[in-house]
Amino acid sequence: MRTFLLALLIAAFPAAAQQQELSAKAWLEHMSEGLKQQQFKVSLIHLQADHIRPLVYLHGKVDEKEVAFLEHLNGPPKNAVRVGNTVTFLEHDQPAYSVLASRIQGVWPAAFSDEISKLERGYEFVLGGRSRIAGRPGQMIRIIPKDSTRYSHQVWVDMESFLPLRYDLITDEKQLVEQIMAVELIVLQAPPALLQEAAEQEWPAVINTAERADGQNWKFSWLPEGFEVMVRDHHRLIGSQEAVEYVALTDGLVNVSVYVARASETPLPEELITRSGLSLVTENRGNAEIVVMGKLPPETLKRIADSLRLDSQP
Amino acid sequence: MDKLGQEWVSAAVDGEVEGQAMADLAADKGSHDKWRNYHMIGDAMRGELPDTINLDLSARIAQAIDDEPAIVAPNIQVTAKAEVDKPRGNVVPLFKQFGQYAIAASVALVAVIGVQNYQQQGPEQEPMSVLSTRPLVGTASPVSLQTGPVQQVQSGNSNEQVYEQRRRLNTYIQDHMLQQRLNSGVALDNSADIMPEHQH
Repeated sequence: MRTFLLALLIAAFPAAAQQQELSAKAWLEHMSEGLKQQQFKVSLIHLQADHIRPLVYLHGKVDEKEVAFLEHLNGPPKNAVRVGNTVTFLEHDQPAYSVLASRIQGVWPAAFSDEISKLERGYEFVLGGRSRIAGRPGQMIRIIPKDSTRYSHQVWVDMESFLPLRYDLITDEKQLVEQIMAVELIVLQAPPALLQEAAEQEWPAVINTAERADGQNWKFSWLPEGFEVMVRDHHRLIGSQEAVEYVALTDGLVNVSVYVARASETPLPEELITRSGLSLVTENRGNAEIVVMGKLPPETLKRIADSLRLDSQP
Repeated sequence: MDKLGQEWVSAAVDGEVEGQAMADLAADKGSHDKWRNYHMIGDAMRGELPDTINLDLSARIAQAIDDEPAIVAPNIQVTAKAEVDKPRGNVVPLFKQFGQYAIAASVALVAVIGVQNYQQQGPEQEPMSVLSTRPLVGTASPVSLQTGPVQQVQSGNSNEQVYEQRRRLNTYIQDHMLQQRLNSGVALDNSADIMPEHQH
């Protein structure tokens, strides 16, 4: 055993020496590459206020295509399968449906496996300390917003495989909003049988998002640095069938939804914070109601709501 | 079994009989019932009886031992059969079960179960609302609107209005969650979204 450890130490030493040269951004880029290229199985817990959700995530490559599988381990079956750029949601209470997506939502933030340089518009990367997570040595990298309008992020990257081991979303007051932590990470040489099966399976056709009706030309006089409009459309809310104008904003890490609807007889609260870190701000302007929602401090959402304008010249 | 014999069994229960005598007793099947009954009486007197008494225990154990070869053989068959079935039953049903449905797009991750408005003391401070949510393992059904205590601080709000407010909040939150899924494949629209003339 001792000789084994010694051998391990020697084997790990050149790698460790090499890693000391890496910048915070380089670590994140290696992580992004690792999430796309490596084959692995990771067991995770997702912590949100008083909820803990255990998950398993599998990732592999079958015929040069990325295939991934996410399973919620507690409660009724709730899974998601990704083959190439299609993600299919398999849930117990509704028929399966597929969407066009390059990532399964609900594990690591989608930005982690995307171009890291996209995040640089809104965030700075700073190297932190090292700690052991899921039995592996991890290097911490802080992703700090350039302005104080957002929560900050921390990620621990496995020093051997560069895969993420832990992710924290924290407020300015250092309060934890959300955490995802690996409890076991296994790097695989070949795609697991389940993923090969998934790659061969016929999945429902992708919902055609191109059919979404174009929205009005909404503009913002102010947005936090790095935020951009991702989608504009108008649709009806599921459940209430209420017609809304919709704008989706993102800075790569955080997604914000902006809704404009006819003011209702029962006004919504001006400001709400859910325990999952999601905040909601409502503003009434004339006979319109503006609802802004996302994992941002409510003050920022309020500023976004205030800055919404309708540009008459398209 | 004579009276002497009964005393003898009783003595054996209390551990007062020699080994050879025990062997004799074991050979005498008629004494087994008594052995058991004396034990039970002893247990009852000491208050050590279990909640449920299986009166037929010794007989069942004997039966089981007799039947043993007969039980083992079918067991082997069962496991062999399960082995054969396993590769087929492993993965496919999981996907088959879900994979053949048409498209749907409803999602519900969070349901609002209560809005609590905490009125601050100072008039200059905005009332801060805290929304209790719980992740739902199903759709956000109207059930969630009826459960959970509602702290009503705002005056003039009827219960109906509170329910309606919560229902509306739910629909917005659900839609936001659904958009996360629908939009994750969308490329960024790089047109200028910030109007410089209104820059603060």
